[in-house]
Amino acid sequence: MSLTQLRPSPQHAAPPPKQSRAKLLLYRFDTKATPYVFIAPFFVLFAIFGLFPIVYNAVVSLRTWKLDEPDKDGWAGFANFTKLLTDSDFWNALYNTFGIFVLSTVPQLLLALIIANLLNRKLRGQSFWRIGILLPYLTPVVASTLVFSVFFARDNGMANWFLSLVGYGQEQPLDWRAEKWSSWIAIATMVNWKWIGYNALLYLSAMQTIPKDVYEAAAVDGAGPWRQLWRITVPMIQPVVVFTVILSTIGGLQLFNEPMMFDQNPQSATGGSAHQFQTIAQLIYKVGWKDLNLGYAAAMSWALFLIILIVAGINAQLTKRIGGDR
Amino acid sequence: MTTFVNRAPQDTRGSWKTYLGLTAVLLVSAFPVYWMFVIASSTDAAVSQIPPSVIPGSQLFKNLNEVFTMQEVYFTASLINSVIVSTVITAATLFFCSLAGFAFAKLRFPARNALMFVVILTLTVPNQLGVVALYILMGKLGWNGTLLAVIAPGLVSAFGVFYMRQFIAHAVPDELVESARIDGAMTMRVYFSIVLPAIRPALAVLGLLTFVMAWNDFQWPLITLNGTDFPTSMVALSDLASGNYVIYRRVLAGAFAATVPLIILLLIGGRQIVRGIMEGAVKN
Amino acid sequence: MKRLGKATAAAGVAATLALTGCSGQSLEGDGDKAQGTITLKVAFWGDMGLDKLKAQYEAAHPNIKIVLNSGEYNAQHEDLQKKIVAGTGAPDISAIDEGFIVQFRSQADKFVNFMDKGGAEYESKYLPWKWQESMSTDGKQIGLGTDVGGLAMCYRSDLFKAAGLPTDRDAVSKLWNNWDDFINVGKQYTAKTHKKFVDSGTNMFNPVLAQQPVGFFDTGEKLQMDGGPKVAFDVSMKALDAGISANLASFQPNWDQGFKKDQFAVLACPAWMLGHIQDTAPDQAGKWDIASIPGGGGNWGGSWWTIPAQGKNIDAAADFVKWMVAPEQQIEVFKTVGNLPSQPALYKDPAVLDYKKEFMSNAPTGQIFAATAENLKPQYLGKKAGPTRVAVENVITQVQEGKLKSADAWAVAVKEAEKAANS
Repeated sequence: MSLTQLRPSPQHAAPPPKQSRAKLLLYRFDTKATPYVFIAPFFVLFAIFGLFPIVYNAVVSLRTWKLDEPDKDGWAGFANFTKLLTDSDFWNALYNTFGIFVLSTVPQLLLALIIANLLNRKLRGQSFWRIGILLPYLTPVVASTLVFSVFFARDNGMANWFLSLVGYGQEQPLDWRAEKWSSWIAIATMVNWKWIGYNALLYLSAMQTIPKDVYEAAAVDGAGPWRQLWRITVPMIQPVVVFTVILSTIGGLQLFNEPMMFDQNPQSATGGSAHQFQTIAQLIYKVGWKDLNLGYAAAMSWALFLIILIVAGINAQLTKRIGGDR
Repeated sequence: MTTFVNRAPQDTRGSWKTYLGLTAVLLVSAFPVYWMFVIASSTDAAVSQIPPSVIPGSQLFKNLNEVFTMQEVYFTASLINSVIVSTVITAATLFFCSLAGFAFAKLRFPARNALMFVVILTLTVPNQLGVVALYILMGKLGWNGTLLAVIAPGLVSAFGVFYMRQFIAHAVPDELVESARIDGAMTMRVYFSIVLPAIRPALAVLGLLTFVMAWNDFQWPLITLNGTDFPTSMVALSDLASGNYVIYRRVLAGAFAATVPLIILLLIGGRQIVRGIMEGAVKN
Repeated sequence: MKRLGKATAAAGVAATLALTGCSGQSLEGDGDKAQGTITLKVAFWGDMGLDKLKAQYEAAHPNIKIVLNSGEYNAQHEDLQKKIVAGTGAPDISAIDEGFIVQFRSQADKFVNFMDKGGAEYESKYLPWKWQESMSTDGKQIGLGTDVGGLAMCYRSDLFKAAGLPTDRDAVSKLWNNWDDFINVGKQYTAKTHKKFVDSGTNMFNPVLAQQPVGFFDTGEKLQMDGGPKVAFDVSMKALDAGISANLASFQPNWDQGFKKDQFAVLACPAWMLGHIQDTAPDQAGKWDIASIPGGGGNWGGSWWTIPAQGKNIDAAADFVKWMVAPEQQIEVFKTVGNLPSQPALYKDPAVLDYKKEFMSNAPTGQIFAATAENLKPQYLGKKAGPTRVAVENVITQVQEGKLKSADAWAVAVKEAEKAANS
């Protein structure tokens, strides 16, 4: 794996001479086994609570399992996967997911970088600013989605009120849920709002580890604050940038809560009257719990899993390339 | 004329533009939270007022009182339960993830990169269906309906391992680890005496993010704790919001009450985080 | 203060549980109750009028403890489905609504068959179609009916008055013998007040569909879009073209606000809707009244009590369910929340016939709804009726959003319905 620019650590130095045999054994045990002991808690807990559901899903995806037709249960081979290829709902959801993903990830990470850069200054009331940007992340999803559903309401909504102030939609208020473009913007707004501060904090904590002499050396080139950010700071914190790109790729492609709660009729999980903002995670939920086709839903989750893997890999490479060229 | 910047950003004073930008960011960040407070302290009519009402009402305590005395919601208990769940999860995550992050960043062992790749893979599993399998598993263990069912899957996180690995790789110099090894220190001692002190800022950040995530988690707790007398605060909040008809002032008063502990945590811990980050920077 | 004490104690117990890994079940067993105490968890949504009944039953049966769990309508059904798949964790007793009964009756072996619990004697007590709807194809009875949703039309007499329309319930009923009349009244109202008349096109579609002899599917599970669905769809399109719909999605925040802001003046009303109106707009007492619905009787909603087979106390649960559906309790529930019983004998009961609902301008709701329930034509619900309904409702919403012309909508609706039926 080469997602980061980690330098290879040197092999442990040879044991100091004149050690007793017991100590030598202990030392060898320490170098050979301790790393595995250190990572064991993660893998053991993951194997119990994470792996079992994945394997379970894999088995289910190869079966016919429709809750309302129990008599048809049985092995299906790859039938659920081949069905995916011709399912227009799936491709539509994939398109929506990517659209919302681009609208939310790109501004989110760029703004987070800029905000982190602003926070990385000598400021009055430093804690106040740093704490303030985390407020959206603290807000319970139940509360923020309620607030946003009122904000983007067609009648008496705050967003439409703002629009009416600048003279738009006086006659016919904008129905945010009706069209792809408006519903995507509304959902992306919710996602951006929640995660910008979180990413800014991750960037900020990385920026603080950049040695000051790097900046002092670069001053010779006459870099202004803007160029300083792009030419010095961003390349220096590149591992964390790659990290956040991967994280928001994963989060963005699994987007569920926001489109779900944004729907006029949340429990139908259709993502709008013509599926205009139905994401893949939402479609999986609908196929599994509304159409009661658990086998097909499991196949869809595996397809999503593979898509995330590929996209996260591509994005990580792209980010590294862009960062490396600068 | 080109502006010459010969100082690190953290030594540069913020200009008026910086403050202007940050003020705008803060307003946008805080408005929904503030508005939540406005509705939580108002009557029902305030929610759909145009122009929107922006002045808090006088009903906060009446609304809060309704929340805390609702039948079958157990709001007070839920706050305590959330403190227990979030604290245990945060402590375990910090310990286990920094251990694993250290191993992945600084120790060499066969299959290291392959195993790190597996850690990242685990992040990408969609969980819309996994819940049934998890519920079956918890049923076999007899944990459904207890806080243990919520705590156990949260004890480690791939995010935490990844974050810690990235941070340790840069914040802990190889030479320091090496020289300690030459002095004959065991790996565990290197972890406690060299790694832990160097990564305090990262621990503060990860700790805060984990605590908040555990506190605000609701999808899995809702399934395993539905209908029990031991809800977490988010489960209690969904109970508040679950009527056929949503009473905004009550739900948002509940949400407000469930957010206050986090804001207090941030006020107390926030200074530590800021200080921690600065110390970490000086060390370099 | 007492409340706080109990809550804190619960948290303490929770902490202990977390440390010892006990299950919730054993805790209830260890409680201060006498040994052999049985706890029955009852899951439902909204308010089913059980608070008083619970106290009454517990007093009469000291070894039984009833735990009520009310949640959101969809969430409760979904939770039940997940726990049936998982094989553990389902409540001892669960309410299931008409909208979900087909889904669960096709999993009949996951529920207690009331035929094994002396349920056969109940068949004659129920409306025949109510008894059939919860029965699986191989004759297993998964539930005993609680209420039915006979249809009437609720209207705002104050808004009618302001629009120069009659306000007396008999006079209002005479305004609309059929749905065309109804839409014309709506046009009059809208022309006069510049306000919308009905809440949404989907809430025209659903009651009209409920009045048809055949719904989406015939008894052979074949999709029949050209029968009842076409009739109902045309009515909803006419209403949308007439511009009398406020286009608010039911049971959503905007709809709730619509009540308060007088955004619509009529609402198709099954009996259980009365409680909802009362909760949503408590200050509109005396402003609502009930008239008959155009086009004859129909049923919308209504529930059953079921017992998931995975439970440990299915006999105690069956006893409690039988007690809940006994006439005295059914009448009690009717008086508390307005849910209309599904046993026709009760429609002759003076307690039902003489009952007047104060909130609805003292309308004789017992008489009105009993009459609609007895007259309605039963309709077969297909396996995929739920998803098909959502698909067609979405097409109506597209017309409301202006994305689709009403003239083109039917073809789209057929296509979407076929897709949903084959999913």
